[in-house]
Amino acid sequence: MRNRRDFLRTMGAALTTCAVPTLSWAEVGGPVLLSAARDGDGQFALYGLDAGMETTFRIALPGRGHAAAAHPTLAHAVAFARRPGTFALVLDCGTGVVRHRLESPEGRHFYGHGAFLEDGAVLVTTENSIEDGEGRLGFWDAGDGYRRMGDVASGGIGPHEVVRLPGTQILAVANGGIRTHPDRGREKLNLDTMRPNLSYVDGGEIVAQAEMPTELRQASLRHLSARTDGTVAAALQWQGAPERVVPLLAIHIRGEALQFRSADDAAQRSMEGYAGSVAWSGDGSRVAITSPRGGVAHIYGGDADPEILHRADICGVAPFGKGFAFTDGLGGALTPKGARRHPVAWDNHLVPIG
Amino acid sequence: MIRLLAFTLFATPALADVDAILDQHVLPRVDSFAAATDRLAEAPCDPAALKPAFAEASVAWAGMSHLTLGPVEEAGRGRSILFWPDRRDATDRGLRLLTAQGEEAWTPEAIARASVAARGLGALERLIFERAAEPCALTLALAGDLASTAAAVQAGWDGDFAELMRTAGAPGNTRFLAPEEVERAFYTALVSGLEFLTDQRLGAPLNTFDDPRPARAELRRAGLAAPMIATQIAALQELAALLAPAPETQASLARALEQARGIEDPTLAGVADPSQRASIEALQTTLGAARRQVDAEIGGILGISAGFNALDGD
Repeated sequence: MRNRRDFLRTMGAALTTCAVPTLSWAEVGGPVLLSAARDGDGQFALYGLDAGMETTFRIALPGRGHAAAAHPTLAHAVAFARRPGTFALVLDCGTGVVRHRLESPEGRHFYGHGAFLEDGAVLVTTENSIEDGEGRLGFWDAGDGYRRMGDVASGGIGPHEVVRLPGTQILAVANGGIRTHPDRGREKLNLDTMRPNLSYVDGGEIVAQAEMPTELRQASLRHLSARTDGTVAAALQWQGAPERVVPLLAIHIRGEALQFRSADDAAQRSMEGYAGSVAWSGDGSRVAITSPRGGVAHIYGGDADPEILHRADICGVAPFGKGFAFTDGLGGALTPKGARRHPVAWDNHLVPIG
Repeated sequence: MIRLLAFTLFATPALADVDAILDQHVLPRVDSFAAATDRLAEAPCDPAALKPAFAEASVAWAGMSHLTLGPVEEAGRGRSILFWPDRRDATDRGLRLLTAQGEEAWTPEAIARASVAARGLGALERLIFERAAEPCALTLALAGDLASTAAAVQAGWDGDFAELMRTAGAPGNTRFLAPEEVERAFYTALVSGLEFLTDQRLGAPLNTFDDPRPARAELRRAGLAAPMIATQIAALQELAALLAPAPETQASLARALEQARGIEDPTLAGVADPSQRASIEALQTTLGAARRQVDAEIGGILGISAGFNALDGD
């Protein structure tokens, strides 16, 4: 295997952070979370939220956002358009200015998630190679104006969320398995043959892979959260017969098979086959998945049965303190410290900073 | 001044009276369902006594089946009260298994763990209307199980769910952070109730003109398909009136109620008879109109829009 930094240098990465003077997160009010939202007047924006769940900044977006990627040190956020979007905006969270606009290369579109490598020197995006339907990871040089460097295979079809394993430069990518074509919107073109997997990419190469077992091959692996020790939690979305009740949380340790966690039949059914987001708790002892369709979050700890949190349209979840922060489409922002209600509809994902 | 006031009223969405919805709509309906299932559980094991008690319990359920929020959604209670629609006839399979297992499987604890398809009104309907309530011990056990589920729903509303709704926004109440969220929950119940009527209670037996499915009608063996529909329409009419003034919605629901009461055959067998089918389709059309009017009138007044994330799906 090539050396990882060699790989990035081959692609032309300066491996330095941006030369333009930029504020740190602390200098823009110390937000700890990012979320896209729809305001009461119908406008879309990206918000920063501090430890008291107060908003620290608001930057208008041209359309509905999906997820964002937070630069680890500089107050930069990359806001992705909803799938199948072809652009992402690098926002300066201090000034609200759009620093760069990333266009997906010809024949590609973004899936709406991305992650930073090398202390923020490189941005990675999940992409669809439209013609052959192959999943790709795009690399962008953050130190050189987010110049496109190149791309590698994601290891499957429909890569959705990509995360960096803490303390490493290894990427975990959820290849959701569903082939789509932008000409046909979000229509799913291969439900009969889909086979999602979780792939690990290091130095541009796939170093490990875990495939969904046959009986769950229609459970699309979509969203990820990585714990400090490298254990990955994945939220699943069931594409099979709606009456079948299946697990929606997979846990993975590299080198082992995927493990699944599920509530009792009635509680599991209430998720309606759809987990929208996943996060480990701040102390790593629990893991939560959310279902906006069922209006519930299931929080798994040491017991077999999850703790159940009811909130209509709940979807965003992120580590917060030792526990979790949750957001929902009614404006609710819940943390162990209490609940706040903002006059916005929080979008699908709540992104931790740092 | 008048102009300014009108503007303010539009700018700030109106608030429905949550106490009135609970006290005049929800709790009385939850109570009558619990009482009706108690009477069914106490009826002697004789089809002549069980049939009217079964009809009362079923219709009482139709009057609150739209209240899927809270206690009914916990522990799968809604499905254990009535497992329907049941396209694969899981009720028949579940009931056969339960019958074959014998009396040891008919204790309250064992029944509570049995397949939901073998419990509740669907299973009781088969026993009472097709098998002369035999075996008697099973009929009584299922009636007792239904009554305890109804009692658990009642206890859930009385115990804390109604209180959570009344104290929206109070510290520690994470379920409802503001009164608007309670309104939205009832609005959702109204909309999903209307959709269940058009898509399932009517849609399942209507299917298509060339392929009607009268055997899919809800509780058709008991001849309750049409009464269930009429009862639910009346319940939704009541809830809509408590949420917001909505003249067009009310007019459509009143018309739908009249159409539902005019259905000749309570089993909805008419879906397969071209001379009767048109009137059942007309009812479905009226309810479809009501569904759109609810959006425009009530959703507009309350400032409610559909699930931002639930409908996005990515």
